[in-house]
Amino acid sequence: MDPTTLIGPSSPLGYPAPYWFLVAFKVLGFTLHMVPMHIWYAGVLLAMLLQWRGGEVGRQLSRRLMQPMPILIALGINFGIVPLLFTQVAYYKVFYPATILMAWPWVSIIVLLTLAYYGVYIYVAGLRTEGATIARWRQAIGWTTAVFFLLIGFIFSNAFSLMTNVRAWSDLWLRESIGGAPLGTAWNTEDPTLWPRWLMMFSLALTTTAAFIVVDAEWFSARGGTNYRVGTHRIAFAISTIGVIGFAITGSWYVFGTWPEELREKMLQGPLRALTILTALSPGAPWLLILWQWRKGGTRTRAAATALAQFLVLALNAISRQVVQNIELGRFLDVTAEPVRIQWSPLVLFLLLFVIGLGIVAWMLSRLKTLKGIGESG
Amino acid sequence: MHYPWWYVPFLTSPMLIAIISVLHVLVAHYAVGGGLFLAVETQYAYRHNHREYLAYLKEHAWFFILITVVYGAITGIGIWWTIGVASPLATQTLIHIFVFGWAMEYVFFVLEIVSAFLFYYFWGRLDPKTHVRIGWIYAGSAWMSLVLITGITAFMLHSGRWPEERTFWAGFLNPQFVPQVLARTGGAFLLASLYVYLHATFKAKDPALRDLIAARSARPALLGSLLIILGGIGWYLALPESAKAALIAASTLNILVVLIFAVTIAVFFMLYLGPYRNPGWLSPGFAILFFTFGLAAITTGEYIREAVRKPYIIYNVVLGNQIYAEKVSELRRTGYLEGGTWTKAWVSHHYPQVLNAGRIDPARLLALPEEDQVKLGEVLFLYHCNDCHAGRRGFSAVAQLIRGWTPDMVRTVVEHPEKAHFFMPPWAGTPEEAELLTKYLLRIAHPRPAGMYFGEEK
Repeated sequence: MDPTTLIGPSSPLGYPAPYWFLVAFKVLGFTLHMVPMHIWYAGVLLAMLLQWRGGEVGRQLSRRLMQPMPILIALGINFGIVPLLFTQVAYYKVFYPATILMAWPWVSIIVLLTLAYYGVYIYVAGLRTEGATIARWRQAIGWTTAVFFLLIGFIFSNAFSLMTNVRAWSDLWLRESIGGAPLGTAWNTEDPTLWPRWLMMFSLALTTTAAFIVVDAEWFSARGGTNYRVGTHRIAFAISTIGVIGFAITGSWYVFGTWPEELREKMLQGPLRALTILTALSPGAPWLLILWQWRKGGTRTRAAATALAQFLVLALNAISRQVVQNIELGRFLDVTAEPVRIQWSPLVLFLLLFVIGLGIVAWMLSRLKTLKGIGESG
Repeated sequence: MHYPWWYVPFLTSPMLIAIISVLHVLVAHYAVGGGLFLAVETQYAYRHNHREYLAYLKEHAWFFILITVVYGAITGIGIWWTIGVASPLATQTLIHIFVFGWAMEYVFFVLEIVSAFLFYYFWGRLDPKTHVRIGWIYAGSAWMSLVLITGITAFMLHSGRWPEERTFWAGFLNPQFVPQVLARTGGAFLLASLYVYLHATFKAKDPALRDLIAARSARPALLGSLLIILGGIGWYLALPESAKAALIAASTLNILVVLIFAVTIAVFFMLYLGPYRNPGWLSPGFAILFFTFGLAAITTGEYIREAVRKPYIIYNVVLGNQIYAEKVSELRRTGYLEGGTWTKAWVSHHYPQVLNAGRIDPARLLALPEEDQVKLGEVLFLYHCNDCHAGRRGFSAVAQLIRGWTPDMVRTVVEHPEKAHFFMPPWAGTPEEAELLTKYLLRIAHPRPAGMYFGEEK
């Protein structure tokens, strides 16, 4: 079956803003989403491992990782709205069919996320009431939560790889449908890009969590003491190293083992080569900064530099993913060729509210500067 | 029809939207009204230096975060998740029209999240003035998110001038906008007070404090009841003719409308005689009763709001079965199977012999063997009808509805469903395709129930 026959017609309404605007917010939103999302994606599992086999510093770090988790999850979910919204505006022709084919796993994200979120709250409540010795049943909930987050990540990887794997649609559809209506039970597990994509994101999440640990140690754990800070730098370096190695292995697998020739040519030659190389090498920068702090001691400036470097790593990743997504889809449709009917006044109002909103957030956060012992709030 | 239709046995996939929506609105209204409660009452408690009340409010803020920030936020996203897979064309249309409405709502979501956490986690460490201001930032943001999402959901019930003007504001400022904002704001006030009563009767141990909470929360609740009634009347007056007719014609809806007004009025008088005049009456049992009434009223209201929209998902724009209303006449000429991206692919793959110069030839459909015609009838049923009807068994199962019908009766309704019932979408296919659907329906129809006696004729 010709895969393009499964792609529906363009919306008569057209894009409400130029494509570059939509994709810019999609990439910016995804970058912002990745920061907190990475910390819970890898962080909850790491916190459980550290609580189990982490020694004294490890257990202390485990608690510090889990304490802000409810807030990070709330922020991550909210930051995820924008990229998904603009994905549905600009990539609707492939987003809806892909998620419908795997509707049950896709919808199950809501159930898994609700359970995982409450799981985190239950665990964190234990940190407050039970201190260092967390009850076994709470630990079990913590482990279950970590598994749920990994599963959610796997489902997301399925959906977004299926979005571009248009060739697989017909087989999945014909295999799992009744009277032409899909049962919504498909998985994109036969797509060779799925596994390295999922594992690559997890590796990247490890590096973000390592950067977060360094920032937390230098900026927010004033009562932790020198031993704690030295210990956390060592652990952060170990996590970052595993993340960077994982990223290198899975990234190589993804690029050299699964990309079609055409995509590889475009990404490794010509003007995109610099982007690909930068994306591949960029995790080395925060890794080196963390190594430096482990060897020479951390400071607030060094920790801030690590955070900034990690943010750039994530931004580069988001940009590269977007470019790859467009090239992969280019075989089937041109997302830039849709008609555009700009909604000027709502667009301007949104931008205005966005700036005002940022201002209000900045004002609220500025009020915290006057407080004592903010870093210990968790 | 541009997208694959997700088959959910028994329930039908749109019913999943209904389930998750109801679960969401019960908390979403509290997220708005509860924010206002916390801002107003914290300000009051600081002003009167009421330490016990402040301690209670902190406890309530924690309860509020656990319910709204976690469950409320995720079920809200859950609706978005579900409409995308169960109603993709309508979702696509709404997102293309209102993407900046949602983007603005997102700004307020972020403000809500940040302010809610600061409000709770820095309780006692922020100076009272700043603390109250942050509470008001939450309350204002939450109400703005209510206003923004109501503009979009109200548009679904009455698209106003949008079909002619096709602009964001023509859609957003639709005839249903103001009445629904009033009703939802009222719902937020009322439901928040009922949540507060439920929480306070279990958590506030001091009777004097409980009485204070009961009396102070009665005022917004009473105001909320009045706003619901006022908004409800406005909602009815601004309904399109088809929605008014659906409301009057469907006996279930008649009962539910009476129920919602009766419950709201009952709650109003219970509030007045109970917490407002006699705060001491408030007990856990009374609070649970209140709360149950509140949930019943909100659930019923949402059900009615959804039900009267038929046959549209977006009034005059998108039909319930994922067809643009303006495309119906074209599909009647060219064929439903030909017009649908996935139905065309299905037919081309399984029955290439019906293609003529790359297009489905309706006449060739009826030349297929009988079994294949029935199979294609099933495709038509799933894509054209399954949004409202299950097949053999389940929600509004068609096989049950047509028990004992003659082939002519089935054929007539298939060809003119909108004439048999004005709240059904019109047939959007060729006469040949109607024949295929008729054959399928006759195949799955259950026989007339046996043993029914009508005098001489059995």
